[in-house]
Amino acid sequence: MKLKEINRTAIQSWSPSQQHPIYLATGTSAQQLDASFSTNACLEIFELDLADTSLDMKSCGTFSSSHRFHKLVWSPHGMDGAGHPNGVLIAGGENGDVILYDPAKIMAGDDDVIITQSDKHTGPVRALDVNPFQANLVASAGNESEIYIWDLNNFGSPMTPGPKTQPLEDISCVAWNRQVQHILASASPSGRASVWDLRKNDLIIKVSDHSNRMHCSGLAWNPEVATQLVLSSEDDRMPVIQMWDLRFATSPLKILENHTRGVLAMDWSLADPELLLSCGKDNRILCWNPNTAEVLYELPTSTQWCFDIKWCPRNPAVLSAAAFDGNIGIYSIMGGSSQAQNQRQADQITNSFGNMDPFGTGQALPPLQMPQAPCPAPPAMVNPLKKPPKWIRRPVGASFAFGGKLVTLDNAPSNPQQPAKHVVHVSQVVTETAFLERSDLLQATLSNGNFVDFCQEKIAAAQDGFERTVWSFLKVNFDSDVRGQYLDLLGYKKEELALKVLKKHLKFKMFDFNLEEEEEEEILLQEVGCTNWCLYLDVDGLITQALLTGDFEGAVDLCILDNRMADSIILAIAGGSELLEKTQKKYFSKTHTKLTKLISAVVMKDWTDILTSCDLANWKEPLAAVMTYARPDEFSAFCDLLGGRLEVSQDAVLQAQASLCYICAGNVEKVVSCWTRAQPTGGDPPAVPPPPLQDLVEKVVVLRRAVEQARRGGAAPTASSVLLEEMMGQYAGLLASQGSLATALAYLSGSTNQVGPARRPEVQPRGLAQGCWRSPPGTGPNYQPFQYPAASLAAPPSPTSLPPAPGFRSQYMQPGPGPSPVYQPLSCSPPYNAPYFPTAPTSSSASSSPTYAPGPLAHGTPFQHGGPGSPVSYMQSPFGGPGTHRLTEINNLWRSVVVGPQNGWNDPPALNRAGTKKKGLENYTPPAPITAPIMGPPGSDPQAQPMSPVSLQGSMDPGQGAFQGPFSGRQQLPPSSGGHPAMPQTSVEGPPGAPTGDHIQPMQSIPAEKILKKPIPEEHVVLKTTFEGVIQKCLAVASDPQTKRKLDDASKRLEALYDKLREQSLSPAIVGGLHNIARSIESRAYTDGLNIHTHIVSSSNFSETSAFMPVLKVVLTQANKLGV
Amino acid sequence: TVMQVSVINTVDTSHEDMIHDAQMDYYGTRLATCSSDRTVKIFDVRNGGQILVADLRGHEGPVWQVAWAHPMYGNILASCSYDRKVIVWKEENGSWDKMYEYTGHESSMNSVCWGPYDFGLILACGSSDGAISLLTFTGEQQWDVKKISNAHTIGCNAVSWAPAVVPGSLVDQPSGQKPNYVKRFVSGGCDNLVKLWKEEDGQWKEDQKLEAHSDWVRDVGWAPSIGLPTSTIASCSQDGRVFIWTCEDPTGNTWTPKLLHKFVDVVWHVSWSITGNILAVSGGDNKVTLWKESMDGQWACISDVSKGQGAVSSITDTQQSEQ
Repeated sequence: MKLKEINRTAIQSWSPSQQHPIYLATGTSAQQLDASFSTNACLEIFELDLADTSLDMKSCGTFSSSHRFHKLVWSPHGMDGAGHPNGVLIAGGENGDVILYDPAKIMAGDDDVIITQSDKHTGPVRALDVNPFQANLVASAGNESEIYIWDLNNFGSPMTPGPKTQPLEDISCVAWNRQVQHILASASPSGRASVWDLRKNDLIIKVSDHSNRMHCSGLAWNPEVATQLVLSSEDDRMPVIQMWDLRFATSPLKILENHTRGVLAMDWSLADPELLLSCGKDNRILCWNPNTAEVLYELPTSTQWCFDIKWCPRNPAVLSAAAFDGNIGIYSIMGGSSQAQNQRQADQITNSFGNMDPFGTGQALPPLQMPQAPCPAPPAMVNPLKKPPKWIRRPVGASFAFGGKLVTLDNAPSNPQQPAKHVVHVSQVVTETAFLERSDLLQATLSNGNFVDFCQEKIAAAQDGFERTVWSFLKVNFDSDVRGQYLDLLGYKKEELALKVLKKHLKFKMFDFNLEEEEEEEILLQEVGCTNWCLYLDVDGLITQALLTGDFEGAVDLCILDNRMADSIILAIAGGSELLEKTQKKYFSKTHTKLTKLISAVVMKDWTDILTSCDLANWKEPLAAVMTYARPDEFSAFCDLLGGRLEVSQDAVLQAQASLCYICAGNVEKVVSCWTRAQPTGGDPPAVPPPPLQDLVEKVVVLRRAVEQARRGGAAPTASSVLLEEMMGQYAGLLASQGSLATALAYLSGSTNQVGPARRPEVQPRGLAQGCWRSPPGTGPNYQPFQYPAASLAAPPSPTSLPPAPGFRSQYMQPGPGPSPVYQPLSCSPPYNAPYFPTAPTSSSASSSPTYAPGPLAHGTPFQHGGPGSPVSYMQSPFGGPGTHRLTEINNLWRSVVVGPQNGWNDPPALNRAGTKKKGLENYTPPAPITAPIMGPPGSDPQAQPMSPVSLQGSMDPGQGAFQGPFSGRQQLPPSSGGHPAMPQTSVEGPPGAPTGDHIQPMQSIPAEKILKKPIPEEHVVLKTTFEGVIQKCLAVASDPQTKRKLDDASKRLEALYDKLREQSLSPAIVGGLHNIARSIESRAYTDGLNIHTHIVSSSNFSETSAFMPVLKVVLTQANKLGV
Repeated sequence: TVMQVSVINTVDTSHEDMIHDAQMDYYGTRLATCSSDRTVKIFDVRNGGQILVADLRGHEGPVWQVAWAHPMYGNILASCSYDRKVIVWKEENGSWDKMYEYTGHESSMNSVCWGPYDFGLILACGSSDGAISLLTFTGEQQWDVKKISNAHTIGCNAVSWAPAVVPGSLVDQPSGQKPNYVKRFVSGGCDNLVKLWKEEDGQWKEDQKLEAHSDWVRDVGWAPSIGLPTSTIASCSQDGRVFIWTCEDPTGNTWTPKLLHKFVDVVWHVSWSITGNILAVSGGDNKVTLWKESMDGQWACISDVSKGQGAVSSITDTQQSEQ
């Protein structure tokens, strides 16, 4: 393809390969005249700008010369130093001159462009060559066998390669050997070539075929083989190129025959020794493979002879050819066609009319369009070289692949004697070794569950106090007394506090010794009494009256009016909870002491006010209060509330503390957002560098596990875990990029399994059917990434997960072992039922009542490890990062193909969610308005004990209808134990009125089994034994830990089924189906079992079976797979 | 940075001539190789194995590059050859066959690259005739062809797609709304230029022309998006230089080059890690080096790789400052 064109009759030389940009120097050719007969001569320099798509070459400088030129060469001499920034241009003149030009000066437009010159040659200088090893050495040759070696550093005294050859003859070419720097060859039209050794300063060999027809027009050394050279013949009778090897110099090694008339010039490509250009009087330009004598390419050229042809040293695909028609063409050897070329022709035709206004129309003619139709001259289809040039044959390459793999080509022979072996290396690239070690440690901790030690190490290794605090808070989650420990960490030592209270109390006692025999009211007052302490029991007549008539409200009002707060409250207690609440409100509106707010919050259980209004500098206090008092279902929300305030505070220190609140709340998402923001890279969550990311993930994973263990609720249902997912995605991506694929999958597992389906519609291209997403190799045809357990995806809160109404709750109350004759749960009216529960602190009756199990919080979506609550919020690119999608897909793949729609260790425990939630509720009894004031040092003094409702009851007339309601619930209390029947046994740390927080079990939770349950009805016990039996069998043969985990998990989750059996809440159809499954398990017909399973699932109510059926499926599938 | 590069598998391809490219599929389970022996081979390399899955014959010249399509479109491989053809191969029922053969160029096809899957099944191919073609599968065995003529005078050597990013927005789109992706890719050629192309109204237009190399641009690689607003491109050249081009400007107009290193020999190939933080540079001296950007934005060589095995880098930072 023709790239450029210069309208000159000139010889040419490319700038050396070092030179950028590429220039072409042209010098008016000697012995050629154009039609003007002008004998002017000039030297011009053009720039080859391939970014310019026109055919024109940009002229960079012109120098008018008195000489015309036979030969032009361009040496890089001086380019490395300051001397000649563009090298040196050496010209052979028609009068025997060798002239050195400075091309930089020509281009700068200077006058003194000639560096130096010599007229040593007696005739025209026809041949020049620059030594490829020493740019300062130039050989020249002319008439009379004259050959000179010029040293550009010492131009005055040229050397000769040896004695002149005899007989004297014109020399047409000289060429330096390309491998051995002191070897020079010359050739003459007579057909003889001579090889000179400059070290010996002598001719060492003559090359001639003695045909007398070889009129040498060109000479070139093989760029790679030192002993080989080619000679071209100008003679039309012998238009050949001979290839000689000096090791066998008696006859040519090869003869390249294709030209039909004499060859005028040759050039051997330095970039590819298998490419030799030649041009001849047959108007052709051929490109040969001189080693095979094959013509690889024929340039589409003009109709004129080319007398000079040159490869561009820098751009190996480019060549220039000078033709006698007065054009120098620049071509690419790589084929293709140029639109510019066609345009040029059109322009020329147009221009030939001057583009004026030949018809006098007043308008210039439009550019002439080349005829296109009906027979569009197809841009001459130019085939590229038959053989790909060496310069496009990429010999090396290393490409990254998924999972930190690097694929490297290796074409080099492992040993020079052997043929090349073409192999590909696949390597694992690990850049974050420390990161991987830490990740491994975390993994190990996750599997062995030794979080306490892990946290302890972290505490020990913590760099700063805050880090230590964070880890301490995290560690607490694995301790037995979570809230107590939190209080400790906040600086509230319960033991100390208890001691202080005790002291104070003793003081009171001594002071009020005389009152000990008085009525219980007074003792109660003592409890309240820290501030409102009343010594006298001065009952006013009015009050007496009111009391006697049963007008509690009136009596209370009177007391309040008389500022007898204690009396009023005591009376209000007797008057029922409504009255009590009213009275409490009145009290708080009337009383204003420092502590009122706190007491108010404690009594009214309204922490929101304190939390929203407290001074943030004292954030620990409200948190401590919440620790102590908050109900489990509020606890997280309160911590969140406080955390939220801290988070938005202006103080950076306080902001950091927010995460502590979130840890207490178990709000992983918030913790993540806090920490992420705390990262130095803040603002760019996706770019957390590996070590901090590992820090974060460690904390999050530990916290998450803690939350999971505790079955404690997490974020509000709507709280998206975008950030968390994103971070986990990033973490997994990083792991994968380091080759730790399995671990990465574990982190992603489950959390993003909705991505596929979610993305699919978007990525569905036109015309592609759904089925186009094919399985990757080896995964089998069953790849259906989207067949995830429908149940797990359908996890949004089902009706069963809604907090039951109070009345509903009572259905789940189970009587303690001690028979409770009056047990009538359903008869309790809710308002009364509820209030009285707390007075019998249920933790004290753990052995007798299941009411106080530490279930998950009742609200919303409990946090689940990557559970189904979160994937919806998975954000796709850009945050997911490239690795993450792929991981996700691989994840899907594994799950569907290998694992099946089951649960890994951190898969969503979706299906028993509803179950656990309900369990939590059924076991939790919210505190009533406080009826017994605080601060009793329980057990220390029987007399000081809070009044038990039971004993209160005793003092009342049970027959009074007005009192019947309030006390009926109380009858669920366990029978009295000793002298103080309802005395809270375990309330060491806290007052009985506020025990809810206090009695929240450590997050480790009492396993459900420990709570007494009804036995499974005898006829269904077989189900349990069968299912557990088959799980045990599976466990015995399962080899990989993942399966084991799954089975363990399944075993646990089947509790949900057993619970239902206990409650006898399953429909007969389902129970029947389960028995059928059990039978099929017995007979090891697992496939049948699965069929029955499918039938049950399809015909039953989802909410009824969702807690255990999928688990059962896992068991069946595994049993089938393992063949137990 | 402690860095480990260790060979986990060496696949003897039994190619009879030089291998020019080797690419793992999306999941890293299969390896496609191509060679001057005119063949394309596919190996199953899971678990360190090397099972020849397919020996694809159809090219009549050396095969320069292979590229795996995203698996959501099936198992599809594109190959390009000196024979001026691009062949799209597809696995159906376990056997590989030609899905499409494109012969729209007049010279060697040097580079093929599939677009991000968000764009559909679209293939960019660069040719020594200077043009770039964009082949879009439109279904029913139909391919839509768009051609950019004269993209790089005397030859395009490499093409690489930009990750699918919605312009000006890094937040996710309102759900259900098809994101308005702008398709972009980068090319490098024998005119020493790196060019960015952008599709506007269904037409491909030159968006940017990046000049820094003084010789043929041998390869270009658009770094995967890591969620940052910055776009990054690596280019390498016959001149031995590797440049990292970055653009933080959301309009994509201002690109700044940073010299990664000037090698003594031609640099043939650059490849980003999937996470976009490591660059593998393959040079003519048969050396592979791995580079990573430090926190302060400097690129440092973190490993020399020879025959797949890593070694402590011999390239020092002092060399790096030379321009």
